Amino acid sequence: MKRLNFLLGTVSGLTVVANGEHIFARALAETPLPGLPGSQNRCLVLINLFGGNDGLNCVVPHGDPQYYQLRPSLAVAPNDVLAIDPHVGLNPGMKSFKAMYDKGAVAIVQGVGYPNPDHSHFRSTEIWQTAAPDRYEHTGWLGRYFDEAGLPAQNLFNGVAVSQVLPEALFSNRTDIPAIPAVGQYSMIVDRDAQTRKAFTQGAQGQQMPFDSPYLAHVMEIEDHAQRSSEELPQLIAGYKTQASYPSTALGRSLALAAQIVGSNLGTKVIYVQHGSFDTHVSQKATQDLLLAQFSDAIAAFYQDLSAHGNDRRVLTLTFSEFGRRIEENGSRGTDHGEASPLFMIGGGVKGGLYGSLPNLAQTSMGNVRYTIDFRSVYATVLERWLGRPSAGVLSGTFEKIPVLG
Amino acid sequence: MAAQTDFAGLTRPRGQLDLATALQPYRGQLDERLAAHLLRRAGFGGSPDDVSRYAALSVNDAVESLVRFPSTGSITPPEEIYDVGAPQPMSAMDGRPPMKRAKIVRREARQALLALQLWWLNRMLSSQAPLQEKMTLYFHGHFTSHYTLRFPQITYNQNALFRRYALGNLRELTRQVSNDPAMLIYLNGAQNVAAHPNENYARELMELFTLGVDHYTEDDVRESARAWTGWRVDRRSAQATFDPQLHDNGAKTFLGQTGNFTGDDIVNIIFAQPACARFFAASLLSWFVYNNPESELVDGVAALLRKHDFELAPVVSAILRSNVFYSTRAYRALVKSPVEFTVGSYKVLGLSQVDEIALPALHQMGQELFNPPNVAGWPGGQNWLTSGTMIARQNFLTQLLNSQTLTQSSWLEKLPVQTRVASQTLVTTILQGDAAPAALYELDGYLSGAGSAALAALSTENYGQRISGAAYLAMAMPAYQLN
Repeated sequence: MKRLNFLLGTVSGLTVVANGEHIFARALAETPLPGLPGSQNRCLVLINLFGGNDGLNCVVPHGDPQYYQLRPSLAVAPNDVLAIDPHVGLNPGMKSFKAMYDKGAVAIVQGVGYPNPDHSHFRSTEIWQTAAPDRYEHTGWLGRYFDEAGLPAQNLFNGVAVSQVLPEALFSNRTDIPAIPAVGQYSMIVDRDAQTRKAFTQGAQGQQMPFDSPYLAHVMEIEDHAQRSSEELPQLIAGYKTQASYPSTALGRSLALAAQIVGSNLGTKVIYVQHGSFDTHVSQKATQDLLLAQFSDAIAAFYQDLSAHGNDRRVLTLTFSEFGRRIEENGSRGTDHGEASPLFMIGGGVKGGLYGSLPNLAQTSMGNVRYTIDFRSVYATVLERWLGRPSAGVLSGTFEKIPVLG
Repeated sequence: MAAQTDFAGLTRPRGQLDLATALQPYRGQLDERLAAHLLRRAGFGGSPDDVSRYAALSVNDAVESLVRFPSTGSITPPEEIYDVGAPQPMSAMDGRPPMKRAKIVRREARQALLALQLWWLNRMLSSQAPLQEKMTLYFHGHFTSHYTLRFPQITYNQNALFRRYALGNLRELTRQVSNDPAMLIYLNGAQNVAAHPNENYARELMELFTLGVDHYTEDDVRESARAWTGWRVDRRSAQATFDPQLHDNGAKTFLGQTGNFTGDDIVNIIFAQPACARFFAASLLSWFVYNNPESELVDGVAALLRKHDFELAPVVSAILRSNVFYSTRAYRALVKSPVEFTVGSYKVLGLSQVDEIALPALHQMGQELFNPPNVAGWPGGQNWLTSGTMIARQNFLTQLLNSQTLTQSSWLEKLPVQTRVASQTLVTTILQGDAAPAALYELDGYLSGAGSAALAALSTENYGQRISGAAYLAMAMPAYQLN
């Protein structure tokens, strides 16, 4: 911090927002958000299990002898599987998650993918984020939702990405979504001069500039957002009391922040979180089992915390990964890039259970699990049945809904 | 947000363009404001010395000095580039388990990539031919390829190709980049064989690189893919090779013509389409002048491209001399990309080297070199700016403007002690005066430490702190985000 002390000369008073009560929070309480009845206070938490989570060792087809033939060193032993039924079960690391499943709080959607699968991390991630397998979109599927939903423009936290940089899923044309890796990291390094800088931008706002630019208003608006959102966030969420002991993992910290944001009623509709890397070409077992255990424990703490504040039914969590992995293990006790895989929908009053069909390990797509549910069906379900918005525009097409949310 | 948002959030200036004279040579004189504008667009901005030097030139001489490049023959890549993938490091790792070996190779490759990024940023800062680097960056975003971690030299070679053709012939560059190893890997050309054609490159060549949608059919994509079959990448030499056994020698019908076409023929046929010249004209105007240019302006530049048989030097030169380029419509009409913002900051401060803080900063601002978001490149325009990237931009400036920088700057430390002179100099040098009057008053207040004593002298104890703080505040102003 020493090199940053140069502005200490003018320590200026930050405008401190009165504790708890937030102008936007107040405004939101008075004006219901657009959407279906009941959708006002809902939040979607999207977890990217990046790197390509191996679906077959996550939701294990332990009833299928072919699984054991194709994975001589990697298969989860029948006794270790957390069995759901005679056909499938969960990875042994997912004990707390299995307990949530048993309580009916988890829906497992199997065989999710898209036509003409791409095996590149970059492209397939982009396809999942933009919901555009057949073209290049510069906006994400949730970015288009933000633009379409008419959320209050004055709210600086309509969506939040718990990440260093904004993921493509949240790229939009008209909605500024902050990427907040952690509360302490979302700040101007030197804000001792906030007053002076504010005078600069505000002074500029009212004044005639000696030039015109089609982007000038946009620049000033974003500068204002950056300034205010970074200043206000710590105060807005300070009143929240965490009611669970989260594991001290990156995902645990991310979800603790997500619960805090939800519980602070900032009008946040989407929170994006990531966990990984699941790119297990070599010695898969140790890596994946650990990551799944971390996932399981963090999710359990997250919903415990949410429940303690009465927020568990307000928060639907959806996981995704850019692809599953090859059915047959490779020569390095790992698996290579594959295609379809299962995903999870948690909380928010989902009808727990198994959806979609078991992976068919005999009829494959060149050694990969064929998709049976288009991922845009899942997105359409979330958009319409959870966020209460039409999906056809956002997804450039109509997709069948999955009866997981009533 | 911005009122006149168009496709991809790109915004055209308000008001009417005088189409009759837009592309005719600008007859006015350069001043410091227009010289700085020219240097920002044709390069990465100027140091105070550059700006005063260019302000004294005629438009003709100024542009002439920018479009004349030395040969790229003497340019050598950073030494890390050749360390990776070569046989020596592998043999030195004999006896180590394969996992460990793979980790070491990955680490070295990662370091090579970072070294290459820093090397290029420093060329942007220090090259005597900034337009050559600006065009290299243009082509990097246009003929997009992502780095291949295991083969950094492939990434470097593509970068060198773009630099070699910076103001060369567009048709020839399109031919060359089609068989470039980085491109063959990125868009699957290396997997495109007669028995199993892969259409990825054939499609993007037309959709994103030369024509745009609606100027070809799905049949054209399929036939073009057949013509491109047979190219491979030799992973040892990092060179492209052509295997006639894998090439489809049958007749192809492409954009209305039939023959046993090769990739070269495909490029020739594409460049004969009127849509091709218009596609590049719109793209060059958006890069140099303003976004979403009027269709008539596009036609004008397209005619120039055809007249010069797609030689870029005379066309870019004409754009940089034109009335529309020096008009108020074009002035500050683009959002600085993170690379322009970062390199330009070192440049305007008169610093001699881009240091490592630039790399994580660029990542957080949303533009890592050799890592474009997808094959369509960086969308640019207002998409560059979100709360998060704005915080990253401001934090980068804070990091850059520490007291150590101050002593390395060619001019900051020499600023006069008198407050009003210092603030005027900052606003003139950093913003070409593009600040609201109230901001200048605030800057005086900041420098004097009082807020009102505008003519106070700076005290010697806090002079350095105040000058770098004031430079930061000048760079935090809205105009500084605009190119």
